[in-house]
Amino acid sequence: MTLPQAIPFLNWSWDYFLFLSLVVVLLGSGIMTVLGRNIIHSGLWMMVCFAALAGLYVLLGAPLVAAAQVLIYIGAISVLVLFAIMLTQTKFGPARLVFHRQASSAAVAAAVIALILLIVVVDTDWPGQGVSVLHTATDALARLLFDRYVLPFEVVSVLLLAAVIGGIYLAKREPDEPSGP
Amino acid sequence: MSITGLLQFIARWFRLDVFVALIVASMLVGIVIWVGAPLVTLPDGSEGTVPSLDAYLFVSGALFSIGVFGFLARRNAIAMLMSIEIMLNAVNLAIVAFGGYVPALTVHASVIALMVMAVAAAEATVGLAIVIAIFRNRRTPLVDEYAAMSE
Repeated sequence: MTLPQAIPFLNWSWDYFLFLSLVVVLLGSGIMTVLGRNIIHSGLWMMVCFAALAGLYVLLGAPLVAAAQVLIYIGAISVLVLFAIMLTQTKFGPARLVFHRQASSAAVAAAVIALILLIVVVDTDWPGQGVSVLHTATDALARLLFDRYVLPFEVVSVLLLAAVIGGIYLAKREPDEPSGP
Repeated sequence: MSITGLLQFIARWFRLDVFVALIVASMLVGIVIWVGAPLVTLPDGSEGTVPSLDAYLFVSGALFSIGVFGFLARRNAIAMLMSIEIMLNAVNLAIVAFGGYVPALTVHASVIALMVMAVAAAEATVGLAIVIAIFRNRRTPLVDEYAAMSE
């Protein structure tokens, strides 16, 4: 037997069910990243957030972007952030006060931005949209990337090289500096 | 797992930030459901709802506001950089969502999303190097103690 394609009683397709569960994980882990008292836990919640986002990319029919998300964000940037956390930990452990004094006004500002974006999204009639998701063929993506977008591609590679050299230069210890905290 | 182990596990997560996260996340998901989903006929003939572009765009906006709050409210410089990463990811989600629903943008959106990821990686490298360089001088990652310019 096969599963029915819509969930009984709710009339949700499996895509919608997956979408809602991934959104719960995404927003919950995002909020835990922002609110977490222990910054290492924040970094780990950020990895969960990126993983849920990779799932959403798969649902949107962009498998190469999902793979790049897993490789770049979960594999590289999260590890970089965790290493930076370990390098900048003080002996006193996590700070008692995680937020600035103006955290409540920051919360109001974030809520207002969310509200404005909600109104914009609901009120606008986005042009030329279909109902079902269009899948991105990877060979078409490669052809476009190395044909029309080849100049931005090369510029990005130069930018990455410059960023790596700049990062090494900035984080390098001066020879006459006393070592370690 | 025994009953006491289960109770201890629950008590460990019985904290204010977890409660706030659950309440805010469920409110946002309620809005996502309220934004709506079109009812279509699925391949086996039954009818079901599928996610819409509006729902994806609102999820992206909500994630962006979470990042904005983290950037404005956290004291730790690395937590602020993590919030910036969250904001960049929210923008990326909006780009890929447009690519998934607007036929004229389908392949272009993936290319632009990959470019954004590369630039975000460069930004993270330089930002974390700057934080480490400042930490070596000031011995603290908390940004409100970087008050040298106002002294």
